[in-house]
Amino acid sequence: MSRFFNALRDGVGFDILLVGAALLFLLALAGAPLLYNVLMSFQQVDMFTLGVLFRPFVGFDNYVAVVRQPEFWLVTRNTLIFVFGSMSGQFVLGFALALFFAQKFPGAATIRGLFLVSWVMPGLVVGAIWSWILAGDFGVLNVILKNLGIIQANVVWKSDPNFSIWAVIIANIWLGLAFNMLLLSVGLAAIPRDLYEAAELDGANAFQRFWTITLPMMRSTIGAVLSLGLIGTLQQFDLFPALTEGGPANTSNVAGYWSWQLSFQLYDFAKGATVSVMMFVLVLFASIIYVRSTRHEVRG
Amino acid sequence: MQFVKLGLLAGLAVGALVAATPASAQVTLKVWSIDGNDRPGIADTFSKEFDDANDDIVVEYRYIPFDELVNETLRAFATGNAPDIVSFDNPDFALFSSRGAMLDITDRVANSDIIGKAEYFQGPLNSVTWDGKLFGLPKYTDTIGIFYNKDMFAAAGLTEPPTTWAQVVDYAEKLTDPTHNVYGATFSARAGEEGTFQFLPIIQMSGGDANKVNTEGAAQVLDLWKEMIDNGWASRDVLSLGQWDSTGTFNAGNAAMAISGPWEIDRMVEDAKFDWGVALLPTITEGGERSSALGGFNWGIMSTTQHPDEAFRLLEYYVSQEDRLFPEFGNLPARGDIALPVTGVEKKDAALKVFQEQLQYANPRGPHPDWQKISKAIYDAMQQALTGQMSSMDALNQAQATIDTIFN
Repeated sequence: MSRFFNALRDGVGFDILLVGAALLFLLALAGAPLLYNVLMSFQQVDMFTLGVLFRPFVGFDNYVAVVRQPEFWLVTRNTLIFVFGSMSGQFVLGFALALFFAQKFPGAATIRGLFLVSWVMPGLVVGAIWSWILAGDFGVLNVILKNLGIIQANVVWKSDPNFSIWAVIIANIWLGLAFNMLLLSVGLAAIPRDLYEAAELDGANAFQRFWTITLPMMRSTIGAVLSLGLIGTLQQFDLFPALTEGGPANTSNVAGYWSWQLSFQLYDFAKGATVSVMMFVLVLFASIIYVRSTRHEVRG
Repeated sequence: MQFVKLGLLAGLAVGALVAATPASAQVTLKVWSIDGNDRPGIADTFSKEFDDANDDIVVEYRYIPFDELVNETLRAFATGNAPDIVSFDNPDFALFSSRGAMLDITDRVANSDIIGKAEYFQGPLNSVTWDGKLFGLPKYTDTIGIFYNKDMFAAAGLTEPPTTWAQVVDYAEKLTDPTHNVYGATFSARAGEEGTFQFLPIIQMSGGDANKVNTEGAAQVLDLWKEMIDNGWASRDVLSLGQWDSTGTFNAGNAAMAISGPWEIDRMVEDAKFDWGVALLPTITEGGERSSALGGFNWGIMSTTQHPDEAFRLLEYYVSQEDRLFPEFGNLPARGDIALPVTGVEKKDAALKVFQEQLQYANPRGPHPDWQKISKAIYDAMQQALTGQMSSMDALNQAQATIDTIFN
């Protein structure tokens, strides 16, 4: 018995105990709902069977029905535009800002801190503010663009099918910028200074230093930022109800919002679950990249 | 030791308290509604009054936000914790009544001295009826008409409000004044229930309904709406504006006509610095079929209740107090036998008269258990047509195909 407690205190048992607690937590709060969701996507769900686990099994009917919805391909296209538009915007601007604030100038750290404001704000608040900025007739963005001579007539960001998804992307880039910048700043700070000094002595110019030192040294950070960005973008919800509600005519609807609409507005829980399972496959893909890119960190 | 003593004393005190409450068979009724969050509403006020007046019944009132009401009730019903009485938005009602989740009160209403089924407007009554049986009662109602800015009309040489949709477009062109940021008309064609709320009446005017949306007339009016948007006689933002915000632009003098309902009146009296009036919702042809949207909430007793008799008594109490709906809460009763008191505000009284007349033409959305899916098909089609992604007829045909799968 005492051997058992000894093992628990300072042997393998203790490790197992710690890992087990975390694993149990994960299984209960992430694993079980996930499996339940997958199960639901193969079942026929209505209000009377909402509370039970075993419902009529319908095979792939829900998947077929979802793909057959007239808006399916539009939503797929929008999701891809939204994910890649938001991610590249967030990443490129975030990287640029991170590099900018990595230069030593007075107040750099303070101003960088101020950027976090956008990250702290709740999505709904950000959505409401951008909703005013992007308003068609009296929005401030149109006034600025007009005075700069970039546009002649007002762009109705939220109601024009050609711009509606971009309206949400613009707001989302702003929202996710600080997070990207912060993570990339940490990555930049971890690169040893002497590498740059040595390169400078060897006559490498700024671009060469960026290409041969900064980027390779940031590989794992960039991988992490991009996969977290993908997950965060797919998760983005608050901006949609605040800005466009997926309209006009689904031109700004994406998988995440669509799944919510199906479940909680149309009360078609099975189809909502089906869409989220489809999204899960995408996120799984991102998670694999993330795990691979951070794997060697753990070993080190 | 001291603590143990204290604990014992406390236990005794609690026991005494429990014993002191009347041991008579008390019935607890749970009532859920969206009322009473920021200001006193119908359900919370009346429930408390009934609770105070009846010693044998305890009413537990619970406020639930609008967006969560249906989901919360679905969950509660599925797990056997449903309330006794619940108040739903009228298009959501059929989801429950059609599946036996609401108590059939046809006979109880017929035998009631307080509730007179004949007094209710037909539209609201249809929304609580399923399969010929009565599963609830209308709580209050509202509808939409067309507000117009009389000063702008006079300036443009117009005297009467438009009576057909073609006239709306014609007037909108005359009333539009880009130099002063004035649009001819505003409405809500949003991707949501509000969009369907404003467009379904058009389908109904053209002889269609929720089960038949691809009518000639509906396509014609969609073309007219599109013409207004394309020509800048209505803002393209009507596609994302809700009714409250859309009418806000009317109040600010940025639109000469607005489609909305009686809930706007109080704010308009405050905000609008011009002379305004309301007219019945225009028709497709002169003197053509009338229709309008039917808003408002319904009461219903859930079929799982343990105390149907007491719940019905509470329902009767709600109905007996309906003459207070307008003076105290600003809501229109869904009955023709309650005269609205004169408020003394001239424009408000005139507007209310129009809306009371309009209510006779108000048609419910559905009722259908899959209403939300039908609604999405309708507002999606409306938006596809208005943004020019599809012709009006093609968009309505596509909606019809979706709707056919729901009805068949």
